[in-house]
Amino acid sequence: MGRTIQVPQNLRRIVSLSPNLTETLYALGLQDLLVGDTDYCDFPAAAQHKPKVGGVINPSIEAVVALQPDLVLVTKLSNRPETVDALAQLGIPSYATDPHTIQEIISSIQHLADLMGASEAGSALAKELQRRLADTQRRVAQLPRSRVLFIVWTQPLISIGKDTFIADALHYAGAESIVDVAQSWPQVNLEEVARLQPDFLVFAGSHAEIMPLKIASLSELPGWRLLDAVRSHRYVHTDDSIDRPAPRLISAIEDLARQFHPEAFSDKPAAAPDHPEKDSGATAPSSPPAPNANALFGASRHLAAQNLQRAEGLACAR
Amino acid sequence: MPAPTNSAGNPLTASDIRLSVEQVSYAYSANPTQAPLFTLEASSFQARPGEIVAILGPNASGKSTLLKLIAGVQAPLSGRVLLDGFITHSLAPRIRAQRIAMVQQDSPLLFPSRAWEFVLQGRHPYSRSLRFETENDINIARNALAQVGAEHLSDRWMDQISGGEKQRVILARALAQQPLLLLLDEPTLHLDIGSQVGLLDTLRRLAAENRYTVVVVTHELNLAAEYADQIVLLQKGRSLRVGPPSAVYQRELLEQVFQTPLSIESSPSGRPRVTILPGANS
Amino acid sequence: MRPLTLQRLFLRCAVLAAILFVVVVIALKLGAVQVSLYGLGLDLLHVLLRRTTALSSNYDMIVIDIRLPRILLSIVVGASLAVAGTSFQALLRNPLADPYVLGVSSGASLGAILTLIAEPYLAVPLAFAAVATPIGASLGAAATVTAVYFLGRRDGQLDSNTLLLSGIISTSFLSAIIMFLITTLAGRGDLRGMSFWLMGDLSSSLQPSLHWVLGIGFLVATGVIYTTASDLNLLLAGEKEAMHLGVDVRRVRIVVYIAASILTGLAVSVSGAIGYVGLLVPHVMRLIFGSDHRILIPTSAFGGAIAVVIADTLARTIVAPSELPVGAMTALAGAPLFIYLLRRKFA
Repeated sequence: MGRTIQVPQNLRRIVSLSPNLTETLYALGLQDLLVGDTDYCDFPAAAQHKPKVGGVINPSIEAVVALQPDLVLVTKLSNRPETVDALAQLGIPSYATDPHTIQEIISSIQHLADLMGASEAGSALAKELQRRLADTQRRVAQLPRSRVLFIVWTQPLISIGKDTFIADALHYAGAESIVDVAQSWPQVNLEEVARLQPDFLVFAGSHAEIMPLKIASLSELPGWRLLDAVRSHRYVHTDDSIDRPAPRLISAIEDLARQFHPEAFSDKPAAAPDHPEKDSGATAPSSPPAPNANALFGASRHLAAQNLQRAEGLACAR
Repeated sequence: MPAPTNSAGNPLTASDIRLSVEQVSYAYSANPTQAPLFTLEASSFQARPGEIVAILGPNASGKSTLLKLIAGVQAPLSGRVLLDGFITHSLAPRIRAQRIAMVQQDSPLLFPSRAWEFVLQGRHPYSRSLRFETENDINIARNALAQVGAEHLSDRWMDQISGGEKQRVILARALAQQPLLLLLDEPTLHLDIGSQVGLLDTLRRLAAENRYTVVVVTHELNLAAEYADQIVLLQKGRSLRVGPPSAVYQRELLEQVFQTPLSIESSPSGRPRVTILPGANS
Repeated sequence: MRPLTLQRLFLRCAVLAAILFVVVVIALKLGAVQVSLYGLGLDLLHVLLRRTTALSSNYDMIVIDIRLPRILLSIVVGASLAVAGTSFQALLRNPLADPYVLGVSSGASLGAILTLIAEPYLAVPLAFAAVATPIGASLGAAATVTAVYFLGRRDGQLDSNTLLLSGIISTSFLSAIIMFLITTLAGRGDLRGMSFWLMGDLSSSLQPSLHWVLGIGFLVATGVIYTTASDLNLLLAGEKEAMHLGVDVRRVRIVVYIAASILTGLAVSVSGAIGYVGLLVPHVMRLIFGSDHRILIPTSAFGGAIAVVIADTLARTIVAPSELPVGAMTALAGAPLFIYLLRRKFA
């Protein structure tokens, strides 16, 4: 956070106050150093069993202190400076990350690994992530970019700004957000969207679970009906890993790329086994309004709650 | 007492009586199971058209309560109030407002209006729900202002006229209701002497001209004596005496009610006049 | 002496209606998509004649399907809030009363938030999905109105001061619950949706059936309040005086309370809590037209409609393609206006 801190040489006990950092630690194989995390740290499943210190914006300082961490991990995006200050006053240093692009995410993962003394694991992970990104890029580079609207909320209509890592992720997935605004969470005018006619509407996991019916009923509403994407149910649905600057984001990018440009992935089988919680349902751009789209959609919501693999589901969406 | 006579000196008949207050009582308790905080014991009197009745007594003697019972907005615990044969409390509010008009101490207006607007409100009991005031209504309002000598105040704002002028306009609104019965609750309270006398002169004139029956609640002994045809004397919820001023203004009685030494003489008009004697009581 | 007549009433309403019409035409012209008025007029004609296939272009569809409903919504919401504000100021005998002072908006917000939380767990049929939140909000509003009614009675009757106090207390209480829910809810997305209720927002597309409910609800409730217009004039002169002039105070109170609450509840359920309209429009109209409710109620309705259409148009055009919350616009205009009126001592 623009502050220099003294990081103890020997880091044995870490508390993570942000779900994406928790994930990253597990991906780096450093989960044994993690002595506590937040109520929202739910991936991987093992993270749920760690001692909890409260929420992301309002963790219990006492609980953190009770765990006697050497270092606390925070992000500028989700955590509050007040939390950091309170911990600092009690002699507990915090390390903050603030990535805005995919490259920054990868390098921040690497820096974190270096900090923990696990540089090898860090560079290995970074290399792997870069390889996958490059592969995806290669596949979609020649294809025209899909124009999409990333929907955070429908009423009022809220999307993401161009300087967010989500917008960058969409780039890597062979798409671009039609919203070209500097604000991070702009409220967008429906008229503008109707004028621009995006190819896809993208919904991210956690929000879709809260408002599946709302999404399905969009085709009933006068304004939304004007969007070709609504009439043809061109909804792209991905899980909440798109929201988290963590290694899983790369999987989300791959998933999105696959849904935007299915023809570029015909040679490659879907969903590697290390992503048990992936969930999506979509139809190809040129298909007629599919009456079973809602069924797929409804079914996928149901199944996602049971953590089943959706590889077969992806393969049949041609 | 001599047999009651009407103003012409003839023995009165039942048809002359407009207002008949028959044994009305009232009790108020904060809690149904507790003893009443306040009681008005059975009181009675009668009044004819053109008469002025003064309800007299010290504070908390039940004067305003009695007035409310007469106005019909409060049901008596026992007894009844008849106006031209109708029980006042049973009348529908609109009809009641066409027959009984109340002049209260002026309450602050939230959004001030002009005097003519204010007086026009008196026509409300006669207008149907969504209608606007008619030519007739406007004439009656104008007339009412003229009758109280306040026509020149017609376009003035109510919050910009003096206390005495305001009282006249309020009276005009009551007149616009074209009532049979005119009730006034301590109308002289905030007025200077000149305005007090002016108001009562006007009341007497109106009662005579328009044949109103007027009931005034007051604690002003001399004004009541001078202007009222009948006095109802109350103390602590009991009506001690009812009758013309000469009958009611007895020294021992008044001293007992008002708890202060007095002397009673005759005023130039022949009515009793009370003089408060200083000292002696503490 | 120039009393109100039907003629004068019509004249004033006609002038305001003309202003509203001009404002609507301008609002239709402004927006993300450019349209010509002539083309627009033709399109409206086609729509009215149900010949939607003859519409000139997709752009015009945008105006008809998105912009026009939004403007109509602004009109109904603005009119509802202004009439409700006028009614509550009369009912509570308080010039600072606005439609939300009795807790209706907090109740609606809570209802909406609870609906959002509960939706995944309820088996709501598809047909009701789009109206689930407005229905939840209306239920919340109705529950609050009922509770405040019973709290606001004294000696078995609605009493202005008691009502005002219960309303204020309910608002605080409900706001506390809302704050609690917001801070314990997961995910930034939920917070985003919530701010809609707190600031007011007219961008939501409504199902056509909701349009009818709103429109008819507004007309009926306003009509009912209008029948008590002259009673309200007298009530403002004093309760006792009103009683003595033949007003059935008890009945008028209940009728106005329910009707005004319905107006507020409907408006808030579909557009959140847009502030300052219900408070200030009545005062401005009083300044211009006087305090007679027989003219105040219809002119406030027009005034509210005009105000909200203007505010919403600004909200969606100033930072296009982004939008600002319409409540921010009304506050920006409303606060200075409030100060000005304060100095004139609520004419």
